[in-house]
Amino acid sequence: MGFGRTSQAAGEFLMTDDARTVPTRCTECEAHLDFPMVCTGCRQLYPVPESVDYFTLLGLDRRYDLDEEQLHGVCLGLARYIHPDRFAEAPEEVRRLATRLSAEVNNAVAVLLDPVRRASYLLDLAGGPTAGQERGVPGELLREVLVLREQITEAKERHDEAELERLRATIGSQREENLRRIAPLAEGACAADAGHRRELRLRLNAMKYWDNLLAESTPDPLAPATPKP
Amino acid sequence: MTDPSDIIVGIDLGTTNSLVAYADEAGPHLIAGPGGPDDVLLPSVIGFDDQGRVRTLGREARAHAVERPLTTVYSVKRLMGKGCAELTDEARHLSYRVGPHPATGERDVAAVLIGAQAFTPPELSALILRELKERAERHFGRPVQRAVITVPAQFDDAQRQATRDAGVIAGLDVVRIVNEPTAAALAYGLQRRERATVAVYDLGGGTFDISILRLEGGVFEVKATNGDTHLGGDDFDRTLIDLFIQEIRAEFDVDLNVPTIRQQLRTLSEQIKMRLSDQESAPVEIALGRGRVYRRTLTRDEFEGLITPLVERTIAACGRALAAGRLTPADIDQVVLVGGSTRVPLVRRRVAEVFGRSPYTALNPEQVVALGAAMQGAILAGVQQDMLLLDVTPLSLGIETLGGAMSKLIPANMRVPCQATETFTTFQDGQVNVRINVLQGERELAKDCRSLGVFDLSGIPPMPAGIPKIEVTFLIDQNGILNVSAREQRSGKIASVQIVPSHGLTRDEVRRMARESVQFARQDMAAHHLIDVRTTLQFDLNKAEQMLRRFGHLLETPERERLAADLAELRALAETCADPAVLNGRRERFNQSTVRLAELAVAASLREDSAAT
Repeated sequence: MGFGRTSQAAGEFLMTDDARTVPTRCTECEAHLDFPMVCTGCRQLYPVPESVDYFTLLGLDRRYDLDEEQLHGVCLGLARYIHPDRFAEAPEEVRRLATRLSAEVNNAVAVLLDPVRRASYLLDLAGGPTAGQERGVPGELLREVLVLREQITEAKERHDEAELERLRATIGSQREENLRRIAPLAEGACAADAGHRRELRLRLNAMKYWDNLLAESTPDPLAPATPKP
Repeated sequence: MTDPSDIIVGIDLGTTNSLVAYADEAGPHLIAGPGGPDDVLLPSVIGFDDQGRVRTLGREARAHAVERPLTTVYSVKRLMGKGCAELTDEARHLSYRVGPHPATGERDVAAVLIGAQAFTPPELSALILRELKERAERHFGRPVQRAVITVPAQFDDAQRQATRDAGVIAGLDVVRIVNEPTAAALAYGLQRRERATVAVYDLGGGTFDISILRLEGGVFEVKATNGDTHLGGDDFDRTLIDLFIQEIRAEFDVDLNVPTIRQQLRTLSEQIKMRLSDQESAPVEIALGRGRVYRRTLTRDEFEGLITPLVERTIAACGRALAAGRLTPADIDQVVLVGGSTRVPLVRRRVAEVFGRSPYTALNPEQVVALGAAMQGAILAGVQQDMLLLDVTPLSLGIETLGGAMSKLIPANMRVPCQATETFTTFQDGQVNVRINVLQGERELAKDCRSLGVFDLSGIPPMPAGIPKIEVTFLIDQNGILNVSAREQRSGKIASVQIVPSHGLTRDEVRRMARESVQFARQDMAAHHLIDVRTTLQFDLNKAEQMLRRFGHLLETPERERLAADLAELRALAETCADPAVLNGRRERFNQSTVRLAELAVAASLREDSAAT
């Protein structure tokens, strides 16, 4: 069986952005590879270099607009070929490879299925700024958050459920609005100039604030239900 | 046909009962015990003698639980992967003693203390597993090595490791740990192949799980799971026990809160609970000695009032699972009930209310998990090719950061296998190791989460502070078990990861226990069996000797002399022969030869009696 370097040395390769190689033809049965990590013809597994991006890994176009059902279908389809349970009788190293590949695919699916993480990932691929490089948020956000947070605290003190409900709705629609603005920026991230890419990062950073506000205005479902033993 | 040497059996290692099953092309089958085809439930109960040797297992051990409260061990599953400190509340409800294991050093490992002996929960579970393994081996007539073992979906890494350790100690190769509700869904899905979203509500003896799955084309995809590893039928019983203790104290000023009596109350409460599933009320009668009797009638309404808070905890967990899967009750096509405690009418009623539909009850809730585990065994062995389980991790995984916060690396309900990578560095010049406290849980602070253990990264090349970049990969495999690997980026050296489990056993300890327990348990059981057989034989011999003395004159001389000779020979044999089968065989033949003497003796006694009156 040809795992590891041997399979890469003999296969045909696709050049990715950073000039790393990804096999496109199976070294065992010569079938075209729809996915870089497995031959769906003969179930041969290939270790994928870390540099391969999530879109290439899952055989998707590098776009923000993505059909969730299609991605879900890809993910189930791939699992049939690479899940470690499919290799229970295989040698230890093959089982380990199947586990690692499955983990990578599952991580990729989790990132791409989440619109915020997907946009952030596309921005990183486009050259950033990454979340580490740019920590700022859009100009008016902090003041807005401060006001809302005060209102939440007051409503909680008064046990004013109706007011909390109203605040949750406000925060929810603000969050949605921000996400709507993220979409076109993320879709064009690869071709965008530095100014647009920075704006995208600021808006992505803002999502955390909206999520936190939503959590603060929602009663904690864990607090009463899981007392420590 | 399936080659039995390649078979992977499925084991449901339950709090109350355990089962073993296998699957072939036709589907899953339960493997019965010595009691006949219906003897499929092995009570998860172990009876020890006062010295800590195994006397009995299963039904027999359970039958003696009341007379032997300190040496009858049950509900071991609730202790798996736990430390003593966490078990103080649990231990209050157990009639046997739980304390720190004397030989596990600084780690907080709980043990069951019998006489001078200490047993870790995996060792105890291994006794149950070994019995199931032997049942399977008797069934197939050859060794069975490989098994799929089920655990509650909410089991954390330590509890899963403990379960796997138990398998290793029992001499099993545990090829897969499967979540119980997922296994149940597999057994359910066998009967219907259409696309559906299914909620599995699994309320067992000690644990509760709710898992929501999407079934499609043979793929069983867990969307979300939630639950409570310390909530089950045992807790229903405890509400009754506490009620009786309280009322008896008020009425008679008698304190029954002692282990021996708790055990009796436990058995009684379990029976009452079961009766109240079919009847509207059940009588309760407890003799307190000296003519005092506690009497009352318990209605189903009263019982339901007592357990409502517990049932509502399961309902809250259902809500959290739905939310995590971004689903509403209307999205659920079917609710499958699993676990003996789902026979309780209040549970069925509340589940039906919450999901807006009557639950599916055609499957036996006590057998469905084992059947699913057997199916997973068949999938792994390649017998069933068209099915696949895709599960999730029940709890968030993270590490403790400066200031005692929990920094999340992998969120709950993430599909497994999955991994996260984190880079660490050093704080001091020349520092060669880094310690990481790995946590599981949903809370913000490290102290509110569960520590899986301290991971000691060593072998870092000495460099100035902050220069080494140690990349640590946390991988949760398909069993839900954590694997950690580390690499120093600048030197490319693979740092070694030494894991000190907070509550678990080290690999060496498991290996040692596996070696010792196989030998000891066999010897223990065999020794006890021999003692029992010898005792029975001696009892029969004594009886025969008495009859011979009193009524031997009624026999003809040759027969009398032959019996006397046999008796003497068997007396000697009972001392020297160590083969229970031989002793039993000889005892039976001897008893047949004394039938005529016994008949004459009975006739003679009757004559004596009538003569006396």
